[in-house]
Amino acid sequence: MKKVLAMLLVFSMAFSMVACGGKEEPAPAEEGSNTPATEESKEGEETEAPAETGSGDTYRAALLLNGTLGDKSFYDSANEGLTRLRDELGADVFDFKVEQMGGQTSDEPKWEPTLLDYCDSKEYDVIIMGTWQMADPLAKAAAEYPDQKFMFFDEQFDFAGNGDPKNIYNILYKQNEVSYLVGAAAAMMTTDDSGFFANIDPSTKKIGFLGGMDNAVINDFLKGYEQGAKDIDPEIEVQVSWVGDFVDSTKGKDLALAQYQAGVDVGYNVAGNAGLGQIEAAGDMDLYAFGVDSDQAALLPDFAKNIPTSALKNVGNSLYRAIKLDLEGNLAYGTTEVLGFAEGGVELVKDAHYEEMLPENIRTKLDELEKQIINGEIVVDTAIQR
Amino acid sequence: MLENLLSPDFFNAILRATTPILFAALASSVASKSGITNMALEGIMLFSALFGVIFSAMTGNFFTGLLLTMVAGGLIGLLLAFFVLNLKTDEILAAIAINMMATGGTVLLMLAVSGDRGSSTSISNFSAPRIHIPLIEQIPFLGQILSGQNLMTYLSIVAVVVMHLFLYKTPLGLKIRAVGENKNAAESVGISSRKIQYIALILSGVLASMGGFFLSGGYMNMFTKDMSAGKGYIALAASAMGGDTPVGGFLVSLLFGAAQALANIMQLTEIPHELIQMVPYLTTLIGLGIYSYAGMRRRQKLAQKA
Repeated sequence: MKKVLAMLLVFSMAFSMVACGGKEEPAPAEEGSNTPATEESKEGEETEAPAETGSGDTYRAALLLNGTLGDKSFYDSANEGLTRLRDELGADVFDFKVEQMGGQTSDEPKWEPTLLDYCDSKEYDVIIMGTWQMADPLAKAAAEYPDQKFMFFDEQFDFAGNGDPKNIYNILYKQNEVSYLVGAAAAMMTTDDSGFFANIDPSTKKIGFLGGMDNAVINDFLKGYEQGAKDIDPEIEVQVSWVGDFVDSTKGKDLALAQYQAGVDVGYNVAGNAGLGQIEAAGDMDLYAFGVDSDQAALLPDFAKNIPTSALKNVGNSLYRAIKLDLEGNLAYGTTEVLGFAEGGVELVKDAHYEEMLPENIRTKLDELEKQIINGEIVVDTAIQR
Repeated sequence: MLENLLSPDFFNAILRATTPILFAALASSVASKSGITNMALEGIMLFSALFGVIFSAMTGNFFTGLLLTMVAGGLIGLLLAFFVLNLKTDEILAAIAINMMATGGTVLLMLAVSGDRGSSTSISNFSAPRIHIPLIEQIPFLGQILSGQNLMTYLSIVAVVVMHLFLYKTPLGLKIRAVGENKNAAESVGISSRKIQYIALILSGVLASMGGFFLSGGYMNMFTKDMSAGKGYIALAASAMGGDTPVGGFLVSLLFGAAQALANIMQLTEIPHELIQMVPYLTTLIGLGIYSYAGMRRRQKLAQKA
């Protein structure tokens, strides 16, 4: 009987691993050279396959994802930025490989070995990874392979605490700057008395914020959002609700409905999948919610009329910029850079949908504010010690 | 905040939060009555939430989607029963396997069907409708609570009555309880305990799948990754606190739903959210305390009489 149980567990583990790897299904965004190897053949291939094509002066990057492509957010953005750079420079100048390690708990044990394998292969000029979960494996790899260069995005790397390694370039994003614009837009919407927004009552000066978990990055979003709103109208009240995780979309919906029913007209979801609950709530109430991390108006066509625009961290842009600088020999390894509007590290989606959703006076004001942030007239508060 | 608590919206929020827990609590009670703890509720709900979206979209209406989801839920219950009863696997370990399989399996399935990993937004879903009851609808205040709820919410309350009658007024219900109370005694009078436990677990799977269906077809109108978010486990607690009876499970589910809805409203105040997020769990603790104290008193009284 133990055998059967063991089989069952093995089966379930294999199933969940395949699920998060999802490698048999090539997403449309992927292309030839970075088509991921299957789980089993990976270890064997990665040391030999790219070596043949790698001529001496090609700059090669490896993008290690502790997740998978197809997230329509960070990882796809990173892939897009590198693809853009390769298309521009040609594959003989710059080439890259994507390794999808999977993002579930059961995938965690293979992140560090995969990273060390890549370091060991010595075929890549730079190895790129991101998010807080990779910070510890990176610290270890950077110490073990001092000649290998790394790029690390969307989480502060603790240089001082790890012997000040000079082979890591750390990228952070000013989510507070882009959130400032969202806050300003939300404040202008909720006080708009021109009748442009049919369901908004300009007398209740309340806007909402739905956070996933109360951590520094999410608070950075919140700080910028509040400041942007209060700079438009100091009387604006920001209602903040926390889901407590990033997955409970039904709770997110209930929290958002409670906000809307209490007079909030415009919300901002920074809660991962739980944030989809706020967008559904906005749909039910025929009110508004700003998107985050990916262009949610485009991703959720049913709710596009409730999503004026989305705030993005542009991981792709930041990697594009970093590698270009590195090719010129101007990238400061061993430091952390925080990229805002000025460097294209964050952006507010400004497409045709945005122009349709927001009246011209609001859009003009947002452009003005963005310029003021770029030239330093407006300094946005942050919740992160830098 | 007070005006929010007195509005029909608050009571609607309670019923909304209660529905999935209630279905799962009923599922837990029928399994427990037969002597098996069904800890796979969480996984069954998560699978059913995705199946609901897929089947409704495939067949073009929610009703056949719901029926097919219930069949699928019953099959997962059957799978659990097969492992526990035929292969003599530990019921908790088999359930953990199903729950883990649900976490990864739903993402795999969703990817295969919709090409998405996070949510099923690209599938056009057919949710269960809201039911407006004529006349009752027009009663001020009360009408807005009694009418206009999601069909699944009404079904969950009907299910309480049906399950109560089933367990306490039918021969099969009696057999289920007999097997749960004392398997050997039941066998000695010719009841096949294996058959009865199979039936109970399949029924449990069907009920849990209805709760899962509501998550993505009424509560939300899409499936999102890991959206069951522990509701199956909360339901286990609700059922246990309710003495594994349908009516008890209903009352405790309602209490949990109310605690959750209250916590959601309380986030609008200045009270630190860390404290507020404790409310549902604090309610559970206090509820369990009262329940076991009452049980102790009852036993003491019985002892005194004797």
